[in-house]
Amino acid sequence: MSYFNIDAQAQNTYDAIVIGSGISGGWSAKELTGKGLRTLVLERGRDVRHITDYPTTMTQPWEFEHRGQLTHEMKEANPIISRCYAFYEGTHQFFVKDAEHPYVQEKPFDWIRGYQVGGKSLMWARQTQRWSDFDFDGPARDGFAVDWPIRYADLAPWYSYVERFAGITGNKDGLPNLPDGEFLPPHEWNCVEKHFQKEVAKRYKDRHVIMGRAAHITQPQPIHFQQGRAQCQHRTICERGCPFGGYFSSNASTIPWAAKTGKLTLRPNSVVHSIIYDEQKGKATGVRVVDTETKQMKEYYARIIFLNAAALNSNLVLLNSTSRRFPNGLGNDSGTLGKYVAFHNYRAGISAEFDGNLDSTTDGRRPNSPYIPRFRNLYKQETDFLRGYAAGFTAGRATKTNQEGFGADLKNNLLNPTLGGWHVGSHMMGETIPKESSYVALDSNLKDPFGIPQLKINIGYDDNDDKMVKDYQEQMTEMFTAAGFTNIRLRDDHRNPGLDIHEMGGVRMGKDPKTSMLNKWNQLHAVKNVFVTDGASMTSTSTQNPSLTYMAMSARSADYAVKEMKKGLL
Amino acid sequence: MERRSALKTMAGAVGGLISLPAWATGWTPETVSLSRQFFSPQQEAVLAALTETIIPKTDTPGARELNVYQFIQKVVADCYDKASQTKFQKGLDTADELAKKSFGKSFSEGEPAQQAAVLTQMSQSGDPDLKAFYSMVKGLTIKGYLNSEYVMTNLTNFQFMPGHYYGCVPVPAKTGTKSD
Repeated sequence: MSYFNIDAQAQNTYDAIVIGSGISGGWSAKELTGKGLRTLVLERGRDVRHITDYPTTMTQPWEFEHRGQLTHEMKEANPIISRCYAFYEGTHQFFVKDAEHPYVQEKPFDWIRGYQVGGKSLMWARQTQRWSDFDFDGPARDGFAVDWPIRYADLAPWYSYVERFAGITGNKDGLPNLPDGEFLPPHEWNCVEKHFQKEVAKRYKDRHVIMGRAAHITQPQPIHFQQGRAQCQHRTICERGCPFGGYFSSNASTIPWAAKTGKLTLRPNSVVHSIIYDEQKGKATGVRVVDTETKQMKEYYARIIFLNAAALNSNLVLLNSTSRRFPNGLGNDSGTLGKYVAFHNYRAGISAEFDGNLDSTTDGRRPNSPYIPRFRNLYKQETDFLRGYAAGFTAGRATKTNQEGFGADLKNNLLNPTLGGWHVGSHMMGETIPKESSYVALDSNLKDPFGIPQLKINIGYDDNDDKMVKDYQEQMTEMFTAAGFTNIRLRDDHRNPGLDIHEMGGVRMGKDPKTSMLNKWNQLHAVKNVFVTDGASMTSTSTQNPSLTYMAMSARSADYAVKEMKKGLL
Repeated sequence: MERRSALKTMAGAVGGLISLPAWATGWTPETVSLSRQFFSPQQEAVLAALTETIIPKTDTPGARELNVYQFIQKVVADCYDKASQTKFQKGLDTADELAKKSFGKSFSEGEPAQQAAVLTQMSQSGDPDLKAFYSMVKGLTIKGYLNSEYVMTNLTNFQFMPGHYYGCVPVPAKTGTKSD
């Protein structure tokens, strides 16, 4: 019998295992296979192949039975996911339904998930701003978290590396708080956005309105054609999946690239239960998986393991990977696993009107918008709250239609709308403070449908967030007023944390194994052949969108891991 | 067929990089317009006539010809809660009763002028439920009409794939319906 076991083990043994196929998992898979490693990618959801599995990507508006609206039944059954802006009749196939993957909300938390090959990289909003030294230096300077073990210089070449492959549009703005990257031509501004940019520049030397950097191919390069991707067609229905590969997703880019090496084995429908730790060897030897179709437990083995399950699920996997050596979760000598989780605060927004530039309008659509990098507490602590916020900004012009009455007149009016004025708007992206009291843990009783403990989430806002909301509203009101915008309306929707879809931390990086989980290579201090390169590894959250940083970290760590492996150190 | 040629153009535009999956060519209007019956035949007839009174046939098709009532039926059946559905059905019945009182026939059998008179009566009604029904049916009719294939492809400048964004273009002399 033992011979059979050895055979089975050999069949299930790879050089590397990557857990998760989203933005970071896709990059881990691409880099590891590209360096010759036979790599198994485990994905808990179903397979979604590029183009073939985007059922609504060519659906015209009138072809949707409900013109995009969600059914009553769908909304009732899914109060959490229904709150996500990208969840509608054309996209519901890519989002986790509330009842299927339960979790425990000790405090309200809208956990937005995409369980399929490609993960959330299919439906993300595609903003790709680099982080700067203000972000990596921040904790040491402000004392709100532990010091990052890396600085911008460690990541800079890897940012460039992933940007060139993924295809990032942007303008070189020369700002120290938002480093420039390897950009394809930027998207166009409209007149009112330019007006706002000019008015802000006139009044504030430290505030800038720039064009957002986004993962769209505005001018394909040979590397993009080699991936089978083409220029963005400005359809702005990205979250349905793009048949052109006009934006970056694992499905269009990294996963097929990894498959071309012949070294990739992709195994969908595989929920990772835990990572197997061998006490004698002092390292991880493999992964336990529940097959979602058969509900059977299977084991796979490898020399290195990349954990890219998305921030909170990576926490869950480590917490559930217990052994005699690690009774509180794999690598958890510090006791910090699951703690110091933070997110981005998107609660507040502002909108207004503008009655200038009435002789011009826009034509076409743009899958991106201008961006205001953080300007608060950058060079010195100048407010009574820690850290700061970035903001989105956009202007547009809508049509007005007289909808009075009925009959032929109404019909005529509907078909002959007039141009209305410009409307402008902004939303905040506030940095929240990673606190020990913001944590995730395993529920001791409740299990998910695969027999794995449910994740208990305990994350909330604090005073710092409230103060930041207030400051954002005050500063934006001042800037909007200065630009001549009128009818200013403020919003604070008190949305639940989670809805921003930027949860980070719990497996933080740090210099000191006593206060952190991962070293400067995203490697578990205590288990050297396990790497975590997704949002779980973030020590602090910055105000910038995090995805590009996950890509850069994944590529960097994979490079390091393979070098270490070749030296025989893993 | 329009869709197929659009897909061909799209595949051409990117140099034949895209191989179209089965679902992209298998689409017909019939497969996406299947609907379950929700209103009674009488209510459906009233609804169809109501939508046509709101947006009538002129030199272009009206709401009835564009099957706007089918869209409304689907939305009410699938996207409304029970209470709103009941209110909507009650509204249809009330419209029919008003027609019978006013011109002795079902709403759907009236002359356009008679139907218009009933609609005016509804829009000015002191009964909040009836008034609410009137704005609901009117709002849905407008939505269904403006989002119909006919209107979007023939009467407005909807672009499924604009391929560009120009930020500062002069306002055109006459603005057509912008559905994007």
